[in-house]
Amino acid sequence: MTTIKSTAVKPDTTMLPARAATSPIAAALRQFARSPAGVAGAVVLILIILATLLGPHLYGVDPLDIAGAPLTPPDADAWLGTDYLGRDILSGLLQGGRATLAVGGVAALITIVIGVTMGSLAGFFGGPIDTALVKVTEFFQILPPLLFAMVLVTLFGQSLVVVTLAIGVVSWPSAARLTRAEFLRLRNLDFVKASRAAGGGNGHLILRVVLPNALPPIIVSATLAIGVAILFEGGLSFLGLGDPNTMSWGLMLGQNRNYVLDAWWTVTFPGAAIFIAVLAISLIGDGINDAINPRLRKRG
Amino acid sequence: MNLVLHVSKQLANAFGLLLAVLVLNFCLIHAAPGDPALVIAGEMGGASADVIAALRVKYGLDKSMLEQLFTYLGKVTTGDFGYSYYFNEPVLGLIGQRIPATLYLVLSALAMSVVIGTLLGIISARKPNGLFSQGVTVISLAGYAAPVFWTGLMLLLLFGSVWPILPVTGMTDVARPKAGLAYVLDVMQHLVLPATTLGLVYIAQYSRLARVNMIDALTADYVRTARAKGLPEIIVIGKHALRNTLIPIVTVAGLQFGHLFAGAVLVETVFSWPGMGRLVFESILRRDYPTLLAVLFFSAVLVMAANIVTDLVYRLVDPRIRSGGR
Amino acid sequence: MPPVLSVKDLSVSMNGTKGMVPVLEHLSFDVAQGKTMALVGESGCGKSMTALAIMQLLPEDFRVTSGSILLDGVEVLSASPKELRSLRGNKMSMIFQEPMTALNPLYTVGNQIGEVLRQRRGLSRRDAHAQAIQFLKAVQIPAADKRVDAYPHQLSGGMRQRVMIAMALACKPKLLIADEPTTALDVTVQAQIFDLLSELQDDTDTAIVLITHDLGAVAELADDVAVLYAGRCIEQGAADEIIAHARHPYTRGLMACVPHLQLGRAIDHLAAALDEIPGMVPPLGARGPDCAFLPRCAFASEICRAQPQPPLDRINAGAAVSCWRHQEIAPGAMA
Repeated sequence: MTTIKSTAVKPDTTMLPARAATSPIAAALRQFARSPAGVAGAVVLILIILATLLGPHLYGVDPLDIAGAPLTPPDADAWLGTDYLGRDILSGLLQGGRATLAVGGVAALITIVIGVTMGSLAGFFGGPIDTALVKVTEFFQILPPLLFAMVLVTLFGQSLVVVTLAIGVVSWPSAARLTRAEFLRLRNLDFVKASRAAGGGNGHLILRVVLPNALPPIIVSATLAIGVAILFEGGLSFLGLGDPNTMSWGLMLGQNRNYVLDAWWTVTFPGAAIFIAVLAISLIGDGINDAINPRLRKRG
Repeated sequence: MNLVLHVSKQLANAFGLLLAVLVLNFCLIHAAPGDPALVIAGEMGGASADVIAALRVKYGLDKSMLEQLFTYLGKVTTGDFGYSYYFNEPVLGLIGQRIPATLYLVLSALAMSVVIGTLLGIISARKPNGLFSQGVTVISLAGYAAPVFWTGLMLLLLFGSVWPILPVTGMTDVARPKAGLAYVLDVMQHLVLPATTLGLVYIAQYSRLARVNMIDALTADYVRTARAKGLPEIIVIGKHALRNTLIPIVTVAGLQFGHLFAGAVLVETVFSWPGMGRLVFESILRRDYPTLLAVLFFSAVLVMAANIVTDLVYRLVDPRIRSGGR
Repeated sequence: MPPVLSVKDLSVSMNGTKGMVPVLEHLSFDVAQGKTMALVGESGCGKSMTALAIMQLLPEDFRVTSGSILLDGVEVLSASPKELRSLRGNKMSMIFQEPMTALNPLYTVGNQIGEVLRQRRGLSRRDAHAQAIQFLKAVQIPAADKRVDAYPHQLSGGMRQRVMIAMALACKPKLLIADEPTTALDVTVQAQIFDLLSELQDDTDTAIVLITHDLGAVAELADDVAVLYAGRCIEQGAADEIIAHARHPYTRGLMACVPHLQLGRAIDHLAAALDEIPGMVPPLGARGPDCAFLPRCAFASEICRAQPQPPLDRINAGAAVSCWRHQEIAPGAMA
């Protein structure tokens, strides 16, 4: 197994001086630390997460309470103003970030689990299984993902669970295609043949032999999937399809959008929060990509 | 001929997939919580038990699922996608009215993003480490991360109150003529902001894609050959490097048609653009399921059509595919 | 008559992370009308950079640091971009190593040959097409009137290189640079391409700079030879003379590597010892003032280690060599 693991990270170990040949994860991390944009993204994301976890306790205003007159501009009491009901925007941002980030993370996880399962089965077995799974993927690809998610949420109800599942269920095809391509490339390589010859079963081959080697691009795509899921959550909430009982950045945007011309602060800050979070995540994704795939770095 | 056979295969495949979308629609209605009769009736407003019973018979909900499926498919083949109680109109008619506005929006956003994105990519590829190139990289990162509905709202804020030089809602001005050149200009003026909003995301993506591919193309041997022949730079770039740069953009643009369409739903909502997206928003609000599902189906039709067109364009620009053997 | 191409004291450097690194040092040679100059050496010796410097198509990080390149009396190094464009194609043109990637896959070969004529000669699309067919016939492509509408991927490697040659000769340039034109081709096709080049040269009187590591081709085609090693010319002269009486150990090593070449008797007894040259060309930046071949040289002695590489020393009318021990190891001295 150790030989296989080292193949998985071959590109970065070759880039590093000999003393650094420790664990592949440490090596990748060291490489990641060399990407200023990636590090900046990671720092920003950590700050956002800390703010949403600790912020509500420190700021101490309930996001659902009426804190002042509706549509009060930013002032000393409500630092970022109040919304159309008079609720505090900053408090909403701090609290709402939890739901937004949680939905993003879990939905991305669902996306990757479905996508990797479909893609690895198709790519590993080939033949009729591949044909069938590719057809299913193709089917999901002709449905515009966000629109499909809207239909699902409309039909099955506006709860955080449905929203998360809907986003996960509609966005897996690209992960599936990526995984399938990696599996098709890897399955005929010598070390896979060797494991098969050594009597490895299909389950062992898929999970233990091929998948670890297919992971680098999947990790990048998983990172980016979080960003996409956050944007989707925002879009759904914006159309009034979020969970009305859970504060989220998208919900704030959706509920206040009719007041944009009268109270710019009500929509500008929640949108900016989504923007910064997604930007941070995509910078991290780029950083990981560079760390795993140094050849491509100059292409930016 | 090879091409005819290929297109027929594609059409057959498309037909199969669209049939599957219809089956999915049928299943969704029946899987959704609640009485399908109520679901189909939508928010008719306090439908009485009698009305519900009548609906049940009317829609054959007392029959077996399989029978119902075939009834549904049969209706669809005659163009019957149900009746929207909210709009008080057959769904098909509704969609027919809304498709043009959405196509204006989506196609202009697409054209804009391909043209501007490619241009930005090409210019920045000429000096990959220059200031302009880094600017394009930043724009493309920002364009990717900015939620389209938020960009729309910010533009609406900018042009609605700060600097009111462009119309921010609807597709036409009530006071303006409804025909002739004046009408076209009116629509185009209203189109600027929605199309820009929708286009920005893709300008970001295509400029990045164009940049990478152009950098590749500029170091390619055939570009060196073109220079060795003494061709002017405009032909070296505009003919030899550009076509090779455009192929991946065309492919991606075609594949992204569905995303573009979904983005249009959000943009149309922001700018009250009277297209399918706006229709989606309204039918979500009213729980108008027949309309919503029909929009899902027709968006799949559009995506399918876009895929087939992309494939044809791809074959047209890349002779290696055209002469068989991928 | 003045030479078509006159290269004097040409040096090229690469702008690397550690500053300017010399790639080619003080190369001089002339090529007269109808003559062929061969640049010989292993990969990494600076042959292709010489070609690209003449064409002024050096990659971004490479710069000409000194010297002069006169093409038909015009200084190439000080030519404006516009003048350069008119020199390229019209006065000089180039064919490349890999004909698959050197042709644009998206245009027919007729289009790619014809576009030069349309640009340069102002020919109409139709006339350019007709001319392209003529050129394809001239490079002996069968069924030229059909092949003219073929795409590069529909042709064999040899055909593609013929297309490249047709394209390069379309505007009747005075100088043709052929950068390893046969490396990517099958052995049988290689000979055909060299024969074609030689025939076309007889017809058109084009001067050719042939870059190759195939000494067989040199013996057959070249009038003059410059042997490059690690960016330095280490032996130069008339092709017959160099082939018959190679003086530099590296040149002899190269010859011994060519099994099918009929070598002069004087070298025969060395061949056994030299049938491959041990080691590799020193990488860029690792080249000091010493003889660059020193670490690989079977004849190296104290004198070589004690002094920097000697300048090219003219031996006779036909040859010059850069080696401290050339007299001791010269064919005459050994015999």
